[in-house]
Amino acid sequence: MSRIKISTVALALVMSVSSCSESFLEAVPELDLSDASVFETPARVLSQVNGLYGSVKNGNFLGGRYPIYNDIRGEEFVNRTTNSVTGFSVYQGNPDPADTYVAAFWNQGYLSINRVNLFLEGLAANTGKIDATLATNYGGEAKFIRALTYFSLVQIFAKPYALDNGASPGLPLRLKGETTAAGSVLARSTVAQIYDQILKDLNEAETALPDTYATPLLRTTRAHKNTAIALKTRVLLAKRDFAGVITEGAKIVSAAAPFKSPNRVAHELQADVVSVFRAPYTSVESIFSFPMADTNAPGTQNQIGFYFNFGNAEYFLNNSGAGILADKTWSATDDRRTKLTTLNATYGNLVTKFSNVSPFVDYVPSIRYAETLLNVAEAEAEAGSLTRARAILEAVRKRSDAAYQFGTLDKAGLIAAILTERRIELLAEGFRANDVLRRAQPLNSFGAGTLIQPTSANYVFGIPTTEQQTNPGL
Amino acid sequence: MRNYLLVICLFCSGLVLAQDKVITGKITSSDDGSVLPGVSVLIKGTSVGTTSNVDGSYSITAAGSGSTLVFSFVGMNTIEVAVGSQSVINVALVNNLTELSEVVVTGYSTQKRAEFTGSASTIKGRGIAERPVQSFGQGLTGQAAGVNITQPNGLLNNPPVIRVRGLSSLSLSSFPLVVVDGIPIATDNISGNATTNNPLGDINPSDIESIDILKDAASAAIYGSRAAAGVLLITTKRGKTGNAKVSIDSWAGISNAVRVPKVLNAQQYMDHKNGAIANALLLNPNAIAPTARDDQNRSFLPTYNADGSMVDTDWADFIFRTAFSQNHNVSLTGGSEKTSYYFSAGLTDQDGFLRANSFQRRSARLNMDHKATSWLRLTFNINYNNSMNKAPASGSNPGGAFGSSGLGRLAMAQIPNLPAYNADGSYNVEGNAIGRKSNLLPAQFSNPAVLIDLDKNSSENNRLISNLGAEIRLMEGLMAKTTYSWDRRNTEDIRFWNPINGDGFSTQGDAYNRYQRADNWNWINTLSYNKSIAQKHNIGVVLGSDVQKRRNTYWGAERQGLADFFFTDFQGNFGTNLAAGNSISQVAYEAYLGSVSYNYSGKYFLSANYRRDGNSALSADNRWGNFGGVSAGWTISEEGFFKGSSLSNVMTSLRLKASWGRVGNGNLSSAYGSYSTFSSSLYGAAPTLAFNQAGNRDLKWETSDQTNIGLDVSFLNDRITLEANYYNKDINNLILDVPQAPSKGIPGNSILSNVGSMYNKGMELAITAVPVNKGSFSWTTNLNFSTNKNMVTSLVDDNTPILTNTSGLEATNITKVGYSAAQVYGVKTAGVNPENGRRIFVKTDGTQVQYQHLGGANAWTFMNGTATTSPSNQQQILGNTLPTWYGGFNNTLKYGNFDLGINFTFSGGNYIYNGSRAGLLDQRIWNNSVEILNAWKTPGQVTNIPRAVYSDNISNGSSFLISENLEKGDFLRLQTATLGYRFPTSVFGKTGITGLRLYAQVNNAFLWTKYSGVDPEISTNGDSNLASGIERNSIPQARAFTFGLNLSF
Repeated sequence: MSRIKISTVALALVMSVSSCSESFLEAVPELDLSDASVFETPARVLSQVNGLYGSVKNGNFLGGRYPIYNDIRGEEFVNRTTNSVTGFSVYQGNPDPADTYVAAFWNQGYLSINRVNLFLEGLAANTGKIDATLATNYGGEAKFIRALTYFSLVQIFAKPYALDNGASPGLPLRLKGETTAAGSVLARSTVAQIYDQILKDLNEAETALPDTYATPLLRTTRAHKNTAIALKTRVLLAKRDFAGVITEGAKIVSAAAPFKSPNRVAHELQADVVSVFRAPYTSVESIFSFPMADTNAPGTQNQIGFYFNFGNAEYFLNNSGAGILADKTWSATDDRRTKLTTLNATYGNLVTKFSNVSPFVDYVPSIRYAETLLNVAEAEAEAGSLTRARAILEAVRKRSDAAYQFGTLDKAGLIAAILTERRIELLAEGFRANDVLRRAQPLNSFGAGTLIQPTSANYVFGIPTTEQQTNPGL
Repeated sequence: MRNYLLVICLFCSGLVLAQDKVITGKITSSDDGSVLPGVSVLIKGTSVGTTSNVDGSYSITAAGSGSTLVFSFVGMNTIEVAVGSQSVINVALVNNLTELSEVVVTGYSTQKRAEFTGSASTIKGRGIAERPVQSFGQGLTGQAAGVNITQPNGLLNNPPVIRVRGLSSLSLSSFPLVVVDGIPIATDNISGNATTNNPLGDINPSDIESIDILKDAASAAIYGSRAAAGVLLITTKRGKTGNAKVSIDSWAGISNAVRVPKVLNAQQYMDHKNGAIANALLLNPNAIAPTARDDQNRSFLPTYNADGSMVDTDWADFIFRTAFSQNHNVSLTGGSEKTSYYFSAGLTDQDGFLRANSFQRRSARLNMDHKATSWLRLTFNINYNNSMNKAPASGSNPGGAFGSSGLGRLAMAQIPNLPAYNADGSYNVEGNAIGRKSNLLPAQFSNPAVLIDLDKNSSENNRLISNLGAEIRLMEGLMAKTTYSWDRRNTEDIRFWNPINGDGFSTQGDAYNRYQRADNWNWINTLSYNKSIAQKHNIGVVLGSDVQKRRNTYWGAERQGLADFFFTDFQGNFGTNLAAGNSISQVAYEAYLGSVSYNYSGKYFLSANYRRDGNSALSADNRWGNFGGVSAGWTISEEGFFKGSSLSNVMTSLRLKASWGRVGNGNLSSAYGSYSTFSSSLYGAAPTLAFNQAGNRDLKWETSDQTNIGLDVSFLNDRITLEANYYNKDINNLILDVPQAPSKGIPGNSILSNVGSMYNKGMELAITAVPVNKGSFSWTTNLNFSTNKNMVTSLVDDNTPILTNTSGLEATNITKVGYSAAQVYGVKTAGVNPENGRRIFVKTDGTQVQYQHLGGANAWTFMNGTATTSPSNQQQILGNTLPTWYGGFNNTLKYGNFDLGINFTFSGGNYIYNGSRAGLLDQRIWNNSVEILNAWKTPGQVTNIPRAVYSDNISNGSSFLISENLEKGDFLRLQTATLGYRFPTSVFGKTGITGLRLYAQVNNAFLWTKYSGVDPEISTNGDSNLASGIERNSIPQARAFTFGLNLSF
């Protein structure tokens, strides 16, 4: 082999593009889909809809910590483990704006809102890719999720509507999809403006959503018309629009006992309250729940059963003082006491509503017919028929404690009884703090050992530090 | 040649007069006692001389007893010995540490140091091989100017933090590029569990010949996009022509944890906590449930052993141990004129002072060179090894600081009046914690005994690194070289969490296995041409191409809910099976490079290099970048005017050099940052798609413009050399995870963008000297000292800093324009109010407020008592975390056959946030350091520890960071002290042994510092650029005593 030949070969080696084709430097994600392809097939569009639900279901948000943190802020629970990762600071009434987990409500909430906004924009830009009716339904589901998210956030990060008719600073109102670095600065809209948007979304969702779904599972885990209406009763109650609650309530609560939905899905209370919280979790009482599965669990230290049940018994029930467990009107024979709580020698009184421990696959109820009934009852008691209010209250109570007699109740007594009923019926479902705040009452924090007044800075959560630092428009 | 010289010498000697006497002797290397052939022996002031024989012996006829012999040899310090009455003069020559005559391995070629105009340090592998380290990087501390190394803590094979001339980036890796025999290899911690697995631990330190650290752009720019953080070039040992030589290097030793915080014993604990409970109940009657205290409001009561003694557990003693380690290496080298070889086999078996922490490596290497023809030379390297890392959850791996099963934390915080075992020998457990026994409040942390015994974490590498190269001499001066390298690593990560206590409790047992396959190949082709014209003009040209592809695939599964507690492995039977740890990523690099160097008569030097780089991780339109550098040098001492001056009698050499270059940083954290993507997941059982990354289609190169101005000077025949450099690294287009307002809903609240700039400036000084060099006694010393000033000059805008968390939980660091990166960020405190024992906090406007735990509406008050709000959002920049000065002071003393090495390292100018102290003073159920005994008790008492109120997690910094726990990080450490003895060759007789040295070494012998945490050299957040200088629940560093031997045949 001559040197000349070798030289030629060597030069060719160096000077050739090292046999590299243009595509040598192409490396595209192999496990994530390009944003350009997600409207390509009807199946992918449906997957996106499910992705919106999955986004709010996240264990750091509505599928776990959001309801948990609402319960531990009040007087019902006592902390056992003093662990900051499992809500100890929130329990003590000291949540810091830098608190990672409180910030996660904001982060996951707004991530979900952006995903909704992008989806609605994509849906509009891709008409014809899917059936028009389905597109309308999907748009309704997206708006329902956006309303649920804004309502969840405005309740914990802004002063209650009831305090000043929504005049307080609310949230930055984001309605456009964000994918670039532009547009961080946005001022807070007022609480009233946020409520307006929530109700606008829910009204539009009510129109766009389907009447029901093919299976009990879909009917429980995806929004239909009644789901939007039920959420409206909750929002209007927080807005103290009692007439509105009664009007909306009439769409899904019959005028008289037995109370059930006269329209579309026939929601009603189940005879056995325990069954609502047990597999398959899809009775008509469960209007909207987040599904859980082995492969889709809430994640470490986000599971309700981890906090309140044997999972890790982070919090046990306060059996003295102001705790609902010590309330004399909650009788010892009530099913909700006998079948949904237990006394453990090591841990104390525990809530067993969420009975699964590892894997934590109990569905997390978000809207339950019992709550809707109590929403309507409260509105009736405040501004409508005391008789109907009482009838609904008794329907809820007597399902679990058939022998119970309320005795004579005046208007104030009736309202108090309904509020107490909510504490019993909705215990550990994430209502406690929001129920106090929406009425602008002081929060009786067992952890802080004191009443937290509406004027106090820690009455609601501060806007997370990261938002304060990146959005000077606040 | 040598014979020819000898003939001349003999001829000369025949002419000298009869009264002259004959001097004989043997010349050896002081380094390893080996004989030195070819050493020049000259009678001073004459041209009479000789050279030593193959066996190192010489014979010379000297002109009487008044003459002086001068012994000189390439790479060794010249030594002069007066003859006097001696007739036998044996000398041991000392290595010349400055190595001006040696070569520097630069990108794609080598250069003589005397001709090198960039800035690089060379470190010999030998000293590192003797140290009880897992990877060579740990041994570089204090060895080179401009290179700062921090060992994060005492967890074995925890990757050291290596910074060449400061922080090289903010979001991208600041770890230098590591090139082993030509192939760039991965450097991050690759473990998928609580172990740390440094892939550099796969390189057996005993196989390393030398490490060249390229520091400035002129030297590193040839590595273009990869070189922003400097380059570590590892050259492994190669065979030498000659008889086969066998070397055996072994060491064994013990290590212990040092500076373990002193915590309360059982009695102190009960007294203190019950006192804190009494204080709490005065403030909030709900502070402790009535059922959790006795009639005297005590919650902590003694538990007794069967023998009646009170349970008093020293958990640090339980969790730490005296650990044994050993290391053995055998190598065989030799070769013929055509073929040479280096073969080695190594075994290291090291236990950590943390129980259940160990590192094992079994490795083999074969390096061969073969001259096939006069114009073709082939090189082969093949290295196979198996590394096994095992560790319990220690809280000391990056991201693990707050784990409630972290043993580093449990050693300090676990309750001392509880036993690990019940009287019947079973584990003392209650729920997911240690059992409370007589205490009335439940414990919070897991029982360490269960974790140590039953949990398993391991990360095991099987790795093959191989190179095949050919060098073809095409014509005089023109060489073509091709090298193909393949680095294939398979790693198995195994994690088992027991169902009884710890992280596996809530899942009733949890097994997670992950398999990693990392494939990395690299093909380099170069053409080089060297030509000398008229013996004055020396020209060198290199042209080349370099392509590399890395593909990593991971797959794994997690199994939960043990069917029976009998099973302790992934392979057992479980109730729930989940996918876990799956991912695929791929990065490709493509580059074309060229460099030209020219020098005139060894006086004037010019060089330039250029590289065009492509990187698949950048956006399609911006993935190609152009980089390069220029440098110049002037060797003044080669000038006639210098040689003629009187200065030349003292100053041997003097050289000025300067360089400028631009390099890129292609070490992107994400291989796909330019893409906007949707991820697939589940909603119940329904498949989902959700927006998960906002890509940046404009993502382009982050660049670093580097200037270096240097001075090399040596005195007294190179007996003293000094190298000084000034450097300035200007980093632009920083690729940052730019924080987005969370309300925008961008996934991860950030988008990778090119914004921001930063610089590092500093001086480096290295002085090497041989203060004493008298035949049998020598002292060589090296002092290196570096300064670094880091400054962030722009970010998204001046008002948008980057906040960084420790282990995702505690906001600890801030990076802001006008400051060095990663400042500690927290609320200022001003001691304790002597009136009431409350911690005083200072708001940003200077207002002081005080905190009363359980104080309800009056928890936060101004000093006058009126209520206010929490100052937790009143954070200020508290202090820089990057050392501003550091260095090493290395000494080798030799006397006869004894050698003594003493190496100091020092560093300072930085602050450390001692977050562990926040935990040690936390008033929850955790144990406290003895410092808590100084807590405020009576009005008027002046102390720095607030009144202890049970459950107080705010006053001492657990809830948000406070300046009370900020401390200076200056230190001086006696890093290693080694005493060795080399047996004289005479004792070996005919055994065939050619050398034997025994040594004893202590590592981390002493530490002088005012820092009160476990160690000022600490990095709980590992290699993080943005969260440095934090100590949080990490285990301490080790002190190790080892004994070793070097044996050769």
